[in-house]
Amino acid sequence: MDILELSELSVRIILGTLGLTAFGIIFGLFYKGIDRKLSARMQGRIGPPLRQPFRDVAKLFAKENIVPDHAIPWIFNLIPLVGLIAAISILLYLPIGGFPALFSWGGDLIVILYLLLIPSLSLVIGGFSSGSPYAIIGAQREMATIIAYEFPLAIIIITIAWKFLQKGATNVFSLATITATPVWNQVTGPLGIIGFAILLLVLLLVTPAELSKIPFDASEAETEIAGGLLVEYSGRNLAMFYLMDGVKTVVLASLVVTLFFPYNLSPLLHLASYPGMALDILFYLFKVFLIILFSVTLIRVAIARLKIDQIVYTYWIPLTLASLVGLILVMWDSVVMNLFSSA
Amino acid sequence: MFTLESGSGFWNPLLWILIVFIAFLLLYGIRGFGRNTYKKDTEQTKAFLSGNKEPSPDEMHVKASNLYWGFTTSLNNVYTALRKMHTGNTSDYVLWFVIILAVLFLVFGVM
Repeated sequence: MDILELSELSVRIILGTLGLTAFGIIFGLFYKGIDRKLSARMQGRIGPPLRQPFRDVAKLFAKENIVPDHAIPWIFNLIPLVGLIAAISILLYLPIGGFPALFSWGGDLIVILYLLLIPSLSLVIGGFSSGSPYAIIGAQREMATIIAYEFPLAIIIITIAWKFLQKGATNVFSLATITATPVWNQVTGPLGIIGFAILLLVLLLVTPAELSKIPFDASEAETEIAGGLLVEYSGRNLAMFYLMDGVKTVVLASLVVTLFFPYNLSPLLHLASYPGMALDILFYLFKVFLIILFSVTLIRVAIARLKIDQIVYTYWIPLTLASLVGLILVMWDSVVMNLFSSA
Repeated sequence: MFTLESGSGFWNPLLWILIVFIAFLLLYGIRGFGRNTYKKDTEQTKAFLSGNKEPSPDEMHVKASNLYWGFTTSLNNVYTALRKMHTGNTSDYVLWFVIILAVLFLVFGVM
């Protein structure tokens, strides 16, 4: 690598990180505003204005940043920042706005899965470092939730990778491979479509647990353990966790879009250059909105909070079985179609 | 450059460290705009316990085994069956070993 390439890469890394940080935070808060407004309307309330999450962050920055007596101060202060940074770093590996990922060569789907764990773990560590029994109970529940939803999530990722491997693709975990030929184009018959539809549904139900949203928010449970792992957080530290939640929402919705709906409108309408790019960005933002509408807004308005044993049961029994059924259907897809074609 | 490849997966740790470093500088700066003061050694720094007096940390310790409560309750049938198998009797464990070995011999013998 010569000096010109190195400097170009450096500029890409710096501008990419700055740009996607701004994108993640602004749109994370914007989608949070939409979610709050829509859920309020569904419950017969007027709801806060769309800019309310921005005001919340501004207000948190003006509030006292209290560190409890029994907390471990350096972990307590550092960990919200770590969670937010990890959530933002994922954006650089994901295709955003209909464009290819900025650094698709820098990490694959497995790396993204590991990076997705860091914000959740930062909540757990923050809870344990708070020195409050409510926070410790919340942190334990968050850990149990993580262990529960990782199982079906792993099956989904493995199924997608297996399908690409069967089709002779190299780098089966690469997002560039997955977006180049979407999963729906890989199937040969109805069994594969049903299988991937089941896996999509399971992924949409894993999303609220990843985001600690109702009905999977036993770790926070305001009415029961007073906010759980966030109970002792205030001021700018809480603002960091608030921003992390917004960014992670965009990350997860973008991941669902990347895995299952990486389509753009511009080739369909034969648009090129700036109009095409603008259309693709708008279409991507709309797809992200639809994912958030289903996975976050509709589910949290419709269903009451589950207990932690019900959360574990939901992920380990029905959803794991559903994802295994999806896996088997995807595996049988080509076999059954071959039988029909040979007959 | 510096991309680690496992045959099926790949990642570049150096790139991630650079991204994290830049994001850290930016967000640490943004965090700096927030207020960093609070009233030390006041009621404010006591843990919130719904108005109850805060006991010593030893007395309000939450056992780590609580973590598994969700699993032991929701998968109660599985755990009950597993507990029944764990009799603590060595001859039972040897019997399990012999049975599983016989099954493995059968499986590999047939294959």
